[in-house]
Amino acid sequence: MSALRIADVGMRFGGLWALREVSFEVERGSVVGLIGPNGSGKTTLMNVISGVYKPTTGEVRYAGRRIADVPTHEVCHFGIARTFQVVKPFESLTVRENVAVGAMYGRDGGTRSTRASFERAQELLEIVGLAQVAQRPASDLTAPNRKRLEVAKALALDPEVLLLDEVMAGLNATEVDEALELLRDVNRRGVTLIVVEHLMKAIVSISTTIVVLAEGRKIAQGAPTEVLASPHVIEAYLGSRWAKRQEQLRVIEAERAEAEHMQPHEPNA
Amino acid sequence: MTTASASAAMRKVSLAGIMGNRGALWAAVILMLLLLLVPVALPGYQTLFRTILMYVALAYGWNTIGGYTGYVSFGNVTFFGLGAYCSALLSAHGVNNLFADVALAVVVNAAFAALVGLPILRLKGHYFGIATLGVALAITDIVGNLDAFGGTGGLALKTVDEAHFSIYYYAAWLVTAGAIGATFLVARSKLGYAFVALRENEEAAAVLGIAPTRYKIVAWAISAAIAGAAGAVFAPANGFVDPSIAFAEDANVFPIVMTILGGIGTVAGPFIGAIILSGVNELLARWFIKVHTLFFGAVIVAVVLLLPRGLVWLFGLRGGARTWLKSLAAYKA
Repeated sequence: MSALRIADVGMRFGGLWALREVSFEVERGSVVGLIGPNGSGKTTLMNVISGVYKPTTGEVRYAGRRIADVPTHEVCHFGIARTFQVVKPFESLTVRENVAVGAMYGRDGGTRSTRASFERAQELLEIVGLAQVAQRPASDLTAPNRKRLEVAKALALDPEVLLLDEVMAGLNATEVDEALELLRDVNRRGVTLIVVEHLMKAIVSISTTIVVLAEGRKIAQGAPTEVLASPHVIEAYLGSRWAKRQEQLRVIEAERAEAEHMQPHEPNA
Repeated sequence: MTTASASAAMRKVSLAGIMGNRGALWAAVILMLLLLLVPVALPGYQTLFRTILMYVALAYGWNTIGGYTGYVSFGNVTFFGLGAYCSALLSAHGVNNLFADVALAVVVNAAFAALVGLPILRLKGHYFGIATLGVALAITDIVGNLDAFGGTGGLALKTVDEAHFSIYYYAAWLVTAGAIGATFLVARSKLGYAFVALRENEEAAAVLGIAPTRYKIVAWAISAAIAGAAGAVFAPANGFVDPSIAFAEDANVFPIVMTILGGIGTVAGPFIGAIILSGVNELLARWFIKVHTLFFGAVIVAVVLLLPRGLVWLFGLRGGARTWLKSLAAYKA
């Protein structure tokens, strides 16, 4: 059963179409990896799905409702939560208070007391590995911990669908493995994930489906191995960079060859 | 200086959490209880202390919208003035009851703030500030031109006789204690967290399920109710209101400076700032008439530069001047 339907979504900023005719469905309980080169519209699509932007064309439907018809602050009450690529902690509050705010006003927030919200927040901080810094102001956190806080805040909303916008950027290899383990755990609890990430290895290992965007259009969709083998994707996603790198290498090689060629003549000069 | 040592310094002094510093809060509670003794212990200074209490209440009113929610209002005097006029109009109709005065002022001002807030709380930053200033100026003029409000000539209120005058002091004390209590309760509640979340980042707050306009209106209505109550107990004691008294510039600007001095968005800050500034202002006003307003300008500049988080911040300071300078540098960075 599909949880989320993205149908013909287009988003225009002035003269620029950041997204065009993007359509796909997200199965309940799946993990969808959203990839594409910089500027391909991944974050814009996240903003459309989470109701921060109203799409210029098309619609996103969740549980039969158009997200665009719902005010931003109601979207989480339907069960859709998100993290921000540029993290937005409430700096003057403690780490635990940050998460508790989500627990107070999220999907189950109406029936949850302040005390219960703090208990829930503490549980989530233990899950994401921030329990030791729970009482510190959020402004003190290091960059990787800020990412963890974003995830904890989103989880505090008791989501059915969780949108993760580059939560693994800036983490080292061990931390990435920890993060993946955390996301798998969240997914096992029945939360559908839509993950934007630049780390290919991470996205391939966690996704059940991958959607590839390039210049605002969907160019491929399917199982990870299948999608990454597609010549279309290599050309649009890896190809341009690959080509440029190859070109640079050729230039360097040529210069080196030239220099070597010059060398023997030098003593005579 | 390395970032690590700067952030270590910040941790020592930071007002982590929504309550602010507990030591400062206890100091405020004890001082407040001592103020209850003024009519008995220092009867000659009753009027002075009543005025101080009024400013404390106004500072708390401003703190709810300007401090906790982060929407800097330059028009809260409107609510003080309308509160004062509520009492005056009740008195003109033969009702001279402080409880009735406060109840009417709270209802009228909360409703008025919600009505005005609906359009102007959609504005952000400076635009909101300018809009509130516009509202204050407009209401001052409207009231001055309405015969029902006595026009520019004002309205007289029936005052109790000299022997029972301390009733006005106790009324002002109760309103102020109510304002502090309300702030304390709001700060600990879900509501307080909604306000602070909106102040820190409106978009992130909305994504967490907080309806921005709704909670901003609630914050402003609470702010208005407190300022209105302060006006309602001020007017009978003063015995007379006209637009220049009810919408006085001092009642608009002083509470803002007091809150900033004490510590914006904290439970104890407005009290501490208001007590200190009122005291100093009173002394300066005795020695240098008129020049004392200059002093407020100097205080604003000094506080913004040296104590961006207010005096309450200093309560948690350990390690003396060096920690302070370090944390200041960290704050500016």
